[in-house]
Amino acid sequence: MLKKIKALSIGILLGIVSLSASAHFVVMYTPQTALLRASDVPMHIVFTHVFAGGPTYDMEMPERFYYTYQQGAFSFPEEVDLKPYLEEIEWHDGDRTLKAWRADIPRDVMRSLGDYQIVIEPEPYWEEEEGLYIQQFSKVMVNVGGVGGNWLQSLGLPAEIQALNKPYANWTGGVFRGVVLSEGLPVPFTQVEVEYMNHPPNLDENMFQEEPLIEAPHPSLEAIIISTNEFGEFSFAMPKAGWWGFAALTVGPERELNGEFLSQDAILWVQATDLPE
Amino acid sequence: MKTDKLSSLVFTCLLLAGFSGSIQAHTPLFDCFDNNDGTITCEGGFTDGGSAQGIAVRVLDDQGRVLAQGELDERNSVDFDRPTVNFSVVFDAGDSHTITIFGDDIY
Repeated sequence: MLKKIKALSIGILLGIVSLSASAHFVVMYTPQTALLRASDVPMHIVFTHVFAGGPTYDMEMPERFYYTYQQGAFSFPEEVDLKPYLEEIEWHDGDRTLKAWRADIPRDVMRSLGDYQIVIEPEPYWEEEEGLYIQQFSKVMVNVGGVGGNWLQSLGLPAEIQALNKPYANWTGGVFRGVVLSEGLPVPFTQVEVEYMNHPPNLDENMFQEEPLIEAPHPSLEAIIISTNEFGEFSFAMPKAGWWGFAALTVGPERELNGEFLSQDAILWVQATDLPE
Repeated sequence: MKTDKLSSLVFTCLLLAGFSGSIQAHTPLFDCFDNNDGTITCEGGFTDGGSAQGIAVRVLDDQGRVLAQGELDERNSVDFDRPTVNFSVVFDAGDSHTITIFGDDIY
């Protein structure tokens, strides 16, 4: 009986943690992910709540920041360290100033045609209010010139969303599909939170735009919760152009750090584009 | 009997034509970059990620004369010395798969 009560308590606790940990996102923002020709790639990295545009949190220097790229159909993917391009910036959130990051990735580093899976493996963040650590393994993909590459490849991260559509090639209204993975294995029937970047970054001011792009009529439409199926797959039709963040929470293998709960999450950013008139 | 064989041959040709059409549904892509050391690198590929290895690439002057030629390697890439005259680079993967990049657009 005691065992049952204990198991129930842990289940409830995990449920609460899972819910309360929702809505945090490591934002990896670059204005355009589908590049016609190679160019410098600016990227802002901020830890925040994307639909509400805040509150934003201090973010320490990521443990790892890199891309994987495969040149040619039969070569092996290669990994390139992007940490040398990281620069700490001050991000403004009302009266608060938070630590965030900017990377100016030079054209020479992302010059070749194809897909670049850009990855952040951050330090775990201690979320004081919720009493847990959050570590979000986050990805965004940039394509140069339209040549297909390794967009479909799983990177074997502790927590990962593997794309089943190119994340940079989606019309507004198109269905995006992905698989939630834990150390490379599908996670069935786990929740995926989908949020619209409702306050796009103002890159001149290092802050999120104050005016929201849309008003959600109900909280369930701010952070949309969907579930993976038995194969760990999910799909979501993006009704508006812009950025959509997909987050699978607490799917990584580690659940404890310094005696506290650790939520290892997977984040993937997807850009939706309007059909031209 | 002869009619049967003929029908079979025609059917096979139609089938192959159908497959060929679907194979060509991808789009060829090509670009070149200046390496700032007197050379340029050219890369080709397809939207579906298919290999472009072996596809011919030619460097032409503005009279259409071939200054250099090569083919894409296993990394879909080939290097040339940058000509000192006006030039263009042609990616030639067949009838409808030809792309030209002019020297002024290579930086």
